[in-house]
Amino acid sequence: MESRVEDLLRELAPQVLGALIRRHGQFDACEDAVQEALLAASLQWQEKGVPDNPKTWLVAVASRRLVDRWRSESARRRREEKAALLDLSGPGQSLDRDDTLALLFLCCHPSLSVPSQLALTLRAVGGLTTAAIAKAFLVPEATMAQRISRAKERIRNTGAHFELPPAPERAERLRVVLHVLYLVFNEGYMTSSGPELHRADLTAEAIRLARMLHQLMPQEGEVAGLLALMLLTDARRAARTDAAGSIVPLAEQRRELWSSAQIEEGVALLTRTLGTAPAGPYQLQAAIAAVHDQAPSAGETDWPQILALYEVLERVSPGPVVTLNRAVAVAMVDGPRAGLALLGTLDADERMAHTHRLEAVRAHLLEMAGDIDAARESYLRAARMTASLPEQRHLALRASRLG
Amino acid sequence: MKYMIMTFGSAEAGLAAKGKDWMLEMIQFMQNLDADLKKSGELVDGQGLADGSQAKTVRIKNGIPVATDGPFAESKESLVGYWIVDVESEARAIEIASGIVAFVKEPIEVRRVMDAPPEF
Repeated sequence: MESRVEDLLRELAPQVLGALIRRHGQFDACEDAVQEALLAASLQWQEKGVPDNPKTWLVAVASRRLVDRWRSESARRRREEKAALLDLSGPGQSLDRDDTLALLFLCCHPSLSVPSQLALTLRAVGGLTTAAIAKAFLVPEATMAQRISRAKERIRNTGAHFELPPAPERAERLRVVLHVLYLVFNEGYMTSSGPELHRADLTAEAIRLARMLHQLMPQEGEVAGLLALMLLTDARRAARTDAAGSIVPLAEQRRELWSSAQIEEGVALLTRTLGTAPAGPYQLQAAIAAVHDQAPSAGETDWPQILALYEVLERVSPGPVVTLNRAVAVAMVDGPRAGLALLGTLDADERMAHTHRLEAVRAHLLEMAGDIDAARESYLRAARMTASLPEQRHLALRASRLG
Repeated sequence: MKYMIMTFGSAEAGLAAKGKDWMLEMIQFMQNLDADLKKSGELVDGQGLADGSQAKTVRIKNGIPVATDGPFAESKESLVGYWIVDVESEARAIEIASGIVAFVKEPIEVRRVMDAPPEF
């Protein structure tokens, strides 16, 4: 019962907020009012049951909160009060759809910093409380509250509107939205750092929001691609760490722990989407994840297929990280020396100078090539460079195993 | 991403070298900085530490842990305060630190907190 009410509230949150903003136009005040209404609902509905029209209930309560606030602020808003109490019936389905989308675009507005985009999206679209978001990002609640209120202030000052971006900007703005959801997913992806459950919740929330976005924009291949990538990656969650919380690399994971339901859903999504339009980077990464997920064992992985996909990905979305991943595929297909040669082309790349990934991959390929001393050195260098504690332990252990 | 911004030395040495007015200005500066970081939604934590001379160092002596007076490090190398900030980029952490350095004229260390998710 409890979680069913919570699910319903989180699903309705962006629709209620959208309805309120359309009527009153003040994103920040409306957002606060909706949070209060959600809280009131979660208390009352658990006890008295869900009202017949839960959305209308929420819109009415949030509107009343808004009016209360205005009343206490000043009398000059009387005109708006009247408007607020008129017409409490909920809008139709298509308006809900556009409202939720417009809200997502607003929260992922390019004028906001990335941490602000994440926080605001989780609160206004995800319907999470500030306390829950603060917990997930391991910062004090006051800090997160301030971050959210600054983000709203910034939206007000830049004059960003609650509307779908105009067609010429749509693709670029959608790219930002997808990136924000991808970052939320990544924050939660690895459960070993920080209190486990809260971070895992972020992953579930990212999948929920991506699923919602996919329902709203079923024709967008990259939205489907991102959802598929999340599902196909998260499917391996249970196998990614051992009982002690240490990282288990893909090749050593117990595949019977992978979620076959998530793999099936991800593959089905991809099958429907691929080929309908030129594949974007999320679809290609999802396709690569699917090849891994469908291999019965690490040894049976279709590396030539993965290599071919990385070659396409590098053409569509070139960058040093893609080259790095392609080097692993090259090593699996043509041998570690070929992979190492490709890695060498990244040595002079400024963008790789401060990440541990180049050294971590080099260490792995050197180990494959049997160059144990050099592999050990590379593992230790990578361990010094990473900003992830579980990864540092993993790399140091790899080095010690070669000691 | 979170960074720890660390200052070193001792309040006593600062007072001796730079005088009372400077100390008062510095207290004001630190209070303003804390307020700014709170307002921007970036402050995770910030603390000043008691003088290093009040510290105890615990080490193994004859196989058992024993506490002795005093810091392990030289006073100018002793941690005297820190901020943990949650910022968008390393550049922003360095910007915050630069503001502090411009005022205190002493080196400040900026170090990433290991809060990143692993990348594989």
